[in-house]
Amino acid sequence: MKLLPNCQEVSRLFSDGLDQRLPTADRARMRLHLVMCHACRNVSEQMQFIRQAMKRLGADGDEPPPRA
Amino acid sequence: MSLEADLAALRLPLLRFAQLQLRHDSMAEDVVSETLLAILEKPDGFQGRSSLRTYATGILKFKIIDVLRRRGREVPLEAQDEQGMDEALDALFAKGGHWQEPPAAWQQPEESLAQQQFFDKLQACMDRLPARTGRVFMMREWLDKDVEEICAELGITANNCGVMLYRARMQLRECLNHTWFGAAP
Repeated sequence: MKLLPNCQEVSRLFSDGLDQRLPTADRARMRLHLVMCHACRNVSEQMQFIRQAMKRLGADGDEPPPRA
Repeated sequence: MSLEADLAALRLPLLRFAQLQLRHDSMAEDVVSETLLAILEKPDGFQGRSSLRTYATGILKFKIIDVLRRRGREVPLEAQDEQGMDEALDALFAKGGHWQEPPAAWQQPEESLAQQQFFDKLQACMDRLPARTGRVFMMREWLDKDVEEICAELGITANNCGVMLYRARMQLRECLNHTWFGAAP
């Protein structure tokens, strides 16, 4: 892998990281990119949010959870 | 309310989930009927442990897994759909792998989790995934299976599975971005 992955490669790495533990070097390079790139930080947060939403879809059916 | 009435109210949401996962109406009807029957046969099974909805969803998931396992290798390839997705994803990036349009943050996404309309949009976005991609994504995120299990059941490689999960996440992100979080298409 290149010293610094680009945005497209980082989006793939982030997705892979949701399914498996990434090699330490890949993780470090991805995180360095996230430190420097706001757009990729947004995307990584949004992928995590989608995971959270999917868990809710399974747990609550179509009944909205009570509002806080 | 009687158990029958409670189950009647649950039937439609359960059916929606099953249809989304199985993409086959009569199979979805079957797994939901089996689920309701399992509860009626052992009505005390859920008491005190969880809500009826959670309990029924748990049983339904196992029924769905059974069906998926049985027909795991019969999935059509849909190479064209999937190729179209790759092209759409590539179009998000400029040469050199930078974003064409850098994605902006979503405003208060957690609040969406309290809104039924959000989950309707999420389902609509999942419906737009190619069937096999959508299924791999559902197996991973909704049935909470790990990649090895998914590969074994569908007879695909881990890399192929990773590619499909990536495509699904990217396309869902795009779809929610435009249809819910209000970004211009």
